[in-house]
Amino acid sequence: MTQPSAGALSTLIEIAENPTGYVTRWKTATGGKAIGAFPMNFPAEIAHAAGVLSVVVQESREPITSGRNLLTEFYCGYTRNLADQAARGRLDVYDGFFLADHCIQLLGAVDVVREEGNRPVYFGQLMASMGDPWTRTAVDGKMLSFREELAEFTGRTIGDADLARSIRLFNENRRLLRSVFDARRAGDATFTSAELQALVKSSMVMDKEEHTALVRRALAEARAARRDGRIRLHLSGHFCHAPRPELLRAIEDCGAIVVDDDLFHGTRYISTDVREDVEPLAALSQWYLDRNVSVPCPTRVQHDVDWDAYLLDSVRASGADGVIVLMAKFCEPHMLYYPELRKALNAAGVPNLLIETEHEGLPLESVRTRVEALLERIRHSQLANA
Amino acid sequence: MVADYWENVFTARERGQQVVWYNGSAVNPIFQAAGLEWCHGEAFSARLAAQQLEKPAQLAAEEYGYIGELCSYARTHLGCAVLTQQARSEDQTGVVGLIDQQELASRLPAPDFFVNAYAGCSTGQQWDEISYRVFGKEVPIFNVSLPFLWGNKPDSGYLRGREWDEASQYVARQLHDLIAFVESMTGRPFDWDALREAMTYIKRASELRREAMELCKAAPTPATYWDWIASIAHINFLPATQELVDYFQAVKDEIVKRLESGIPGVQNERYRFYFDGIMNWNKLGWLAKKFAAHDVAMVCGRYTHNAFWQEPHLIDTDDPILGMAQHYLLCPTNHGTKTLKYLTNRDCEEYGVDGIVFHASRTCRAFTNPQHLLAKAAQRELGIPSMFFEGDVADASFYKDEILESRLVAMLETIDLRRSRATA
Repeated sequence: MTQPSAGALSTLIEIAENPTGYVTRWKTATGGKAIGAFPMNFPAEIAHAAGVLSVVVQESREPITSGRNLLTEFYCGYTRNLADQAARGRLDVYDGFFLADHCIQLLGAVDVVREEGNRPVYFGQLMASMGDPWTRTAVDGKMLSFREELAEFTGRTIGDADLARSIRLFNENRRLLRSVFDARRAGDATFTSAELQALVKSSMVMDKEEHTALVRRALAEARAARRDGRIRLHLSGHFCHAPRPELLRAIEDCGAIVVDDDLFHGTRYISTDVREDVEPLAALSQWYLDRNVSVPCPTRVQHDVDWDAYLLDSVRASGADGVIVLMAKFCEPHMLYYPELRKALNAAGVPNLLIETEHEGLPLESVRTRVEALLERIRHSQLANA
Repeated sequence: MVADYWENVFTARERGQQVVWYNGSAVNPIFQAAGLEWCHGEAFSARLAAQQLEKPAQLAAEEYGYIGELCSYARTHLGCAVLTQQARSEDQTGVVGLIDQQELASRLPAPDFFVNAYAGCSTGQQWDEISYRVFGKEVPIFNVSLPFLWGNKPDSGYLRGREWDEASQYVARQLHDLIAFVESMTGRPFDWDALREAMTYIKRASELRREAMELCKAAPTPATYWDWIASIAHINFLPATQELVDYFQAVKDEIVKRLESGIPGVQNERYRFYFDGIMNWNKLGWLAKKFAAHDVAMVCGRYTHNAFWQEPHLIDTDDPILGMAQHYLLCPTNHGTKTLKYLTNRDCEEYGVDGIVFHASRTCRAFTNPQHLLAKAAQRELGIPSMFFEGDVADASFYKDEILESRLVAMLETIDLRRSRATA
């Protein structure tokens, strides 16, 4: 499935850039089924326990053509691209689709997937209001429904032992990736932010055991490097799909180094392990609830959890000099929460910059100008405080 | 009636009344029974937009940091929250700001608590969470979570299937919890008899509304979609009293009289259209006149005909909670495309529709979600053509009149051509 002759990091980057190629090879090699899972909270451990390859469907780089006639242009780039992928048969590699998140734009895109294809699509809505007395019971019910649906989909029973094994494998993978991100916070600069994104993105695509082995190889092959004196930045936001690697490279080319993030294709995805000391389905419910405490998300509603406070704590912990908020254009939960972030960052004197991204068109020159202006502001501030 | 309602809201504080801000479903009968004043956020944004008074609130929202592509209902309402919060602190400090200029937007009394019961659109629940934060997390909030009726199973459909039954019970249980929360806010036991009485009025008003709508299947239609838009406030959030029943009785009587007298909703009705999408409140009168000028009678629409207590037979006035829960689930943005295709095509057939107009409302993704799929289905299954125009629910800057005009003319020509071929 992987390319044994290539360097491990290169292989991971190649898979991150071409998930469909990997899924095709995996299916050919194993004869197994693959499902497309939509971000951000589908419990893939259950699918793994059923012997299914669960892949977080990624944004493709193709320009949107047929999809324009299926979803309006004021939807986020990811959902418009999903509709386009469905219309052009790019999702045919998947035998079915699962989602757990109630995002109205995502549901629109997934309805296109359902209408344009003939594969089963299951929506097990995990309630987004996290702190109500009935939240846990409702989440438990949905986890059970995922197990039932996947059992029906595969025609096999998913036992607790299967699930416990999958949870262990997923936790191992998350722990390994977290160790790399922890090292970055502590001053390691072995990997660029684009390379770190590839590590996480490939984890969303690959069989977890295989991915863990490959990441271990990549770590062993890597030449260690320490952080230099560049301006330190925290990247925040960008849910569901990955910001383009060239955007990340442009930010670092301007004279900055990314020291932390709360991106979905980053810290957010790997933030939380599933407990291994309780009944597996219950542990997955708890994972869903814990995840929003580990790294708060504006798609969830939880009165005693504050993304703005989390962001300030992260900035202090990593020593970031500033924050770049990456917002997928038209992402409503992010648009709603952004003023709270801005208010908190400004009140704390943390320089910050908002960059909106779209599926098509990345104005790199204008991004560079804006990032350079942010970095200048930070340098001036540092000189003034020296 | 509508003006009286808002005046009542604006003067609630002077009368020592508790005020609840809520969004989404029509949970107001519960507030009425609890003796509260209620303010529906979307309705207030719509009112500002219809009166061309939305800009001060939207500017306040923009200054606060909300981006212009955010739901304009939410943006306007959050701008009101910012202004109300500012007004409150200015009251406390004695500082006089720009309140006079922003009068209407800031006249909303600050809430004593929030209730969110948003179906369909995921933004709805997040919006009130942010309102809660704008008010410094000092105002209590209660969320009713309404499952999306996605239609996972073969038995899933409109008002049927296991998914419908389970969701109905799930929401009904939450409404009981909401009532317990309201009791804790008011410090009074909930008046169940008052709720039964309110729901009796609503059921009767809804029956009259549906009967009157049924009469509008006649050709030419005696009343149009735009007339039903004018009655949305009444059925959606005005107090449930005998006056509400009388209003809809009068509407029905007028429609009967129009039928008997041969008075059409549009002079020289030549085309019958269906309107899909949320209302463009800035352009309500403008759109009504524009279509009428082309002899188009907009006979029905998703927003008017598949919303607002539209299935009164579900309401058991002795035990109204389940029927209320079910109506909250029946929000026209809370269905998967399969059900929406059924509803749209059913209405198009029953009302003898010649074409569909899709309002691609720029910041309302909940309504625009399935529109292209609905257009394809109507064309494929019924041979009905459609057109799209871009506008917005409460932000006039997104409306493009020339595009609407040219597309409308093109669609009318298509229909004329088809008719001439059919008679040739």
